[in-house]
Amino acid sequence: MSDLAIILRSLRARLFSTCTTALLVAVAVALMLVLLSMRDAGRKAFERGAGNMHLLISRDASPLVSVLNGIFYANAPARSIEWARFQKLIESFPHDFAVPVQQGDSYRGYPVLATTPEFFTKFKPDPQRPWALASGAFFATDFEVVVGARAASESGLRVGATIFLTHGTGGSREAHVHKEFAYKVVGILAATGSPHDRALFTSLPSTWVLHAHDRRLAADAKAPMTTVADLIDADRLITGVFVRVKTRPGFEVGASLAPIFSQLRTQADLTVASPSDQIRQLLLIVSNVDQILLAMAGVVLVSSGIAIMLAMYNSMDQRRRQIAVLRVLGASQGRVFGLIVTESAIIGLMGAAAGVALCAIGSQIVALLMRQRLGLVIDAGVHPESAIIVAAATVLLASVAGVVPAVMAYRTPVSRSLRPIA
Amino acid sequence: MPAEHLALEVDGLRFRYGDAAAWVIDVRRLAIKRGEHVLLTGRSGSGKSTLLQLIAGLIDPGEGRVSVSGQDVHQLRGAARDAFRGAHVGMIFQTFNLLQGFTAIENVQVAMMFSSIPPREHRAKAAALLERLGIERPFAFVEDLSVGQQQRVAVARAVACEPAVVLADEPTASLDPENAAGAMDLIQQVCRERNAALLCVSHDPSMAARFPRVESLDQLASAAAGSAAAVGGRSV
Repeated sequence: MSDLAIILRSLRARLFSTCTTALLVAVAVALMLVLLSMRDAGRKAFERGAGNMHLLISRDASPLVSVLNGIFYANAPARSIEWARFQKLIESFPHDFAVPVQQGDSYRGYPVLATTPEFFTKFKPDPQRPWALASGAFFATDFEVVVGARAASESGLRVGATIFLTHGTGGSREAHVHKEFAYKVVGILAATGSPHDRALFTSLPSTWVLHAHDRRLAADAKAPMTTVADLIDADRLITGVFVRVKTRPGFEVGASLAPIFSQLRTQADLTVASPSDQIRQLLLIVSNVDQILLAMAGVVLVSSGIAIMLAMYNSMDQRRRQIAVLRVLGASQGRVFGLIVTESAIIGLMGAAAGVALCAIGSQIVALLMRQRLGLVIDAGVHPESAIIVAAATVLLASVAGVVPAVMAYRTPVSRSLRPIA
Repeated sequence: MPAEHLALEVDGLRFRYGDAAAWVIDVRRLAIKRGEHVLLTGRSGSGKSTLLQLIAGLIDPGEGRVSVSGQDVHQLRGAARDAFRGAHVGMIFQTFNLLQGFTAIENVQVAMMFSSIPPREHRAKAAALLERLGIERPFAFVEDLSVGQQQRVAVARAVACEPAVVLADEPTASLDPENAAGAMDLIQQVCRERNAALLCVSHDPSMAARFPRVESLDQLASAAAGSAAAVGGRSV
């Protein structure tokens, strides 16, 4: 026999109470871990959108609006950059890539991003992974469309489908479908877990032509079909530029970025945003909500500790005789105290282990639902560091919860507790 | 009698509850040799069980001294006293006080947990002891055993650490006369085999016949008033 055997026997003797208390702890631990892992997953999902770009140049009202519109497709940017201005701009600083993008059109509510082939060859939505195709190919000529993973799964678009784009976004008053311009779906992208999964991608001239056609119809209602050859400078507009500055090997990116950032910010007609800074600010705002949720989970965890204490406390009346017998047999008060605290800690440990398992299963289900319903790819699973910290905190909390009943056990009057039951 | 031959020595022991004026226990002297069997009688509520608890060091006296195997029990404090009790004093209770939810062999092993017996020997020693005492199902939970078998487990647990003194508090009060006689035979036999002193408390007058020495708590108390006759006890 060992102290552990005595504790396990005691737990088994109160199996229902032990299991329900451990379950309560498990739910609290799982809640805490799910919140922690979802917070990390959400942060990563945010960070994935900016990918490997360093700067986002636009004419939006502020850097944060620029990031929300340009990366997260919150709204179509209201102001554009002329093509000539873009070309002059990119000659003013060294860069790895400067990919022009244009927003403003849509397909059944999904934003359409017009860009150049560099978008797929240079820009990566996740710095660790390049773009990948689930099927088909990237667009090679005008009027070809590549569809993001979520947009494809929700709209049912497949390679070979013909679609008609809406000039303007779905919610705007001016939005109208251009039935005269047919686009062919040539590729479906693999999921990236970024906001780009809900967009469609085509070449810049493919959307410029919609704008040009509207312009020509406004001038002449009987204007013939517009082609790329009909484009003028006023049609060639972009809403943003994804920039990655040239970095020297072995040097911090900040060293190269800072002077370019400062230089670009002197140009009053442009808004220059560092997506990583803006996302950090955004997360700072969101983190207040995070902290409230985590505090609530902490309260639930503390409540479960109180539940352990109550379960142990309530059992002490039934266990007075057992404790008194152990004392008669030679167990010291300290050893009895230790037995009760350890028993409490074991309930905490059981709950923590069950909670980690519950979280692992729960987050897989949540991740599956988020992927199916929102198209958001999150890293499911339990983070080992979080699990270890939360489990250790739970065991510590349970041990503390065991102190009150342990003091009762410590003070158990042996002679009175051994009296025959009347 | 040389002190080294005494298993138990009680001198001028007095105890009272709280601030009560009267002493509940007032024993001038009680000495029991190693292997000696003594019956302690007294009317109900006279403090027989309290005396056993004082001897076991479970409560502290107001005055006086209790020595077991030459060690003043109340000189020891805390864990040292608990460990000493576990090693040198065995206790048998009226209601057995076995650990419910534990098997018979585990009840005996638990007694050894707090002794100096090496843990690797616990199981074998407990099994041999239970076999010697005729326990048919050592791996059964004690609550599933008959009352008679539970009594045997309680006896086995009391002598598991080869104590110098076995204190039996109304050990047969829960049994019918036939089983009571069998249980007392067993307790005395096991104590004889181990040369353990036995101090048995009972208010059953029929028990006196099986003990070579009977002490009355009242007589021990009156001895405190000046009579030395009680010291050493009365042989029957």
